[in-house]
Amino acid sequence: MRGALAPLAVAAALFAILPMGLSMAGSGYLFRLADVTLIFCILSLSMQLITGVAGLLTLGHAAFYGIGAYAAAILSTRLGFDAGLTIPAAGLVSALFGVLIALPTMRLVSIYFAVATLGLGEMIYVTLLNWVSFTRGPLGIGDIPPLRPFGFDLSSPLGSYFLLAALAALCLLVVHRIAHSYYGNALRALREDDQCADAMGLPVVRLKIEVFAIATFLAGIAGALWAHTTGYVNPADFRFAESILILAMVVVGGLGSIPGAIVGAALLILLPEALRAIGEVRILAVGLIMFLCILFLPKGLFGEVAALDLVRRQFGAAWRGGSAARPLGWR
Amino acid sequence: MTTTRRSLLVAAALAPFAAKRATAQPRRVLIGYQLPLTGEFSQYGERFRNSALMALEAFNRAGRLPVPVDIVFEDTRSDPREAVAVARKFVDNREIVAVLGDFSSSASIQAGRVYAEVGMPQLSQTASHPDFVKISPWQFRNITTQAYEGPRVAEWMRENGVRRVAVVAIQNDWGQSVVSNFAEAFRAGGGEVVATQFFNPGNREFRAILTEIARARPDAIYIGMFYEDGAAFLQQRRQLNIRVPVYATSSLYEPKLVELAGAGAEGVFLSTTFMSTSPEPHVRAYVEEYRRRFGSDPNMFSAQAFDAVNILLEAIVRAWPEVTRARVREELAKTRDFPGVTGVTTFDPETREPAKTLARMRIENGQFVLVR
Repeated sequence: MRGALAPLAVAAALFAILPMGLSMAGSGYLFRLADVTLIFCILSLSMQLITGVAGLLTLGHAAFYGIGAYAAAILSTRLGFDAGLTIPAAGLVSALFGVLIALPTMRLVSIYFAVATLGLGEMIYVTLLNWVSFTRGPLGIGDIPPLRPFGFDLSSPLGSYFLLAALAALCLLVVHRIAHSYYGNALRALREDDQCADAMGLPVVRLKIEVFAIATFLAGIAGALWAHTTGYVNPADFRFAESILILAMVVVGGLGSIPGAIVGAALLILLPEALRAIGEVRILAVGLIMFLCILFLPKGLFGEVAALDLVRRQFGAAWRGGSAARPLGWR
Repeated sequence: MTTTRRSLLVAAALAPFAAKRATAQPRRVLIGYQLPLTGEFSQYGERFRNSALMALEAFNRAGRLPVPVDIVFEDTRSDPREAVAVARKFVDNREIVAVLGDFSSSASIQAGRVYAEVGMPQLSQTASHPDFVKISPWQFRNITTQAYEGPRVAEWMRENGVRRVAVVAIQNDWGQSVVSNFAEAFRAGGGEVVATQFFNPGNREFRAILTEIARARPDAIYIGMFYEDGAAFLQQRRQLNIRVPVYATSSLYEPKLVELAGAGAEGVFLSTTFMSTSPEPHVRAYVEEYRRRFGSDPNMFSAQAFDAVNILLEAIVRAWPEVTRARVREELAKTRDFPGVTGVTTFDPETREPAKTLARMRIENGQFVLVR
């Protein structure tokens, strides 16, 4: 019973309380902030899988976000695909690139993997910028149609919000089921010591490739949502700084913590907007708040241990175990 | 006599209504300005705001309207996320009748989609992307694009007897338009473009490009880039001793160019809409006041913003007393022969592209000199 209450609360907040509040405020600005926050929740959740749970520091996540956005932009403007098709297609294209990149790099560890993803991320950015005949290069792609999946017109602020919220909830469910399971525990074992995990019989490289494919799929979906809600994509939107922003969300929220990824994304998207009143020092203030967060809460605003505790109690995760007093899994 | 009396009577009879109408008037007119005040482009946003405040204060002091006009500045860092959020914020505010900005073309386009959807006139001082004014009839710009400048430089080169040109431009939307517009016009005039090179933003190493284009033996090099890159390019050209005349886009008009490139900048040809050393009185007045208030010389970007604000204010005056978003848009489209500091400006009512007078300049002894 307790296991059902918390998911219901999350669903009620996402699908009833928030949209009701936003509609009552009648503000396109708040709707837009909600949309961007949801998109970045998907991005930070997907990076959380790679970096927080599987322990692979990636510095090229924005590139997959960009591939997804460009896939959706090109499919919808040149081939007239509908958002119902472009969104999953963007995920698949992005995951394809994810696997292609993962195959040669997955045997690299720690900082070497980070630098490899940094290099690959830059390569993808430079390709988007210079392959003018295909991506229109720096001119970007405009006139991307708004969200009308399968003929349903969801281009109104409320319609877009509901679609984004539904997809974000779906991503959350997927990431939650992966991270809070024996599979997730296997990924955590890789993070702690991949040689040891290998010695225990875990297929280290395969697990890493799988998690990279899933995460890049989700990043691709986020990209498609960005493309359809903004209507114009440009290579400059997917530069290295975006990768760092997503990484900061994950770290400030708490590495390895799913609620942390959401808190981190919401904080880093909404805080700069909330601080508009203080003028030009607002970005400085955001930096200071991030610094203080890391200084005083090095495990993040919602650390992994607290997050797992919450998930285990409230969300009935897979490893809660049978009747034993001590739950299975790790502490 | 009778007519005067009658009209007085009519006026007296209508006075209560007139007064009522006057109270229904807004107490102020509000304009939104989205611009980068922080982040990597903040030096541009700073200049825009300086110029906008100058234009606004002068306008309110002159009492052109019975109510004051105010500008809300919102920082976007020219970042797509923030530009769209700010656009939504401006649209939500029913008091705002028109918007200025953004700085970069991509942020302007992303915000412009919001303005097109809702119906808010948007005037960008710098968005030169060919698609920007094509978004909807609500988009205007005050900067001449390469579609305007390119053919004029091509003509100038032809007059100087140039037949073969090599083009070097930055790899962004604007750089693309530099090359395509110039090359088209130059070829149409019977010239030949013997080499075209793009460099990625942030790259300051031009030796490979210079060697490559020198091999094609051009009569002149046309460069489309910003002054920081331009200074590096001109210096390296001098170091490699490539003595081909250089023509540049108006974006290189910046006193720092000469400072940074030194002797390398000598002899460069460029066209511009704004010249801080211009003898025209209204330009001199602007430059002097800017210098006095902000302690630096205004450049092309400051001047673009100054004119953009004034063009919008003129449109608001013409729309008065019915200052609505739709009316301001209509009046903006009617902008004709506006005597700005960046030249006399006319908006094409159909394409909403500006036409301006372009001045020809050359760098001689470290000074920008007008060429007649």
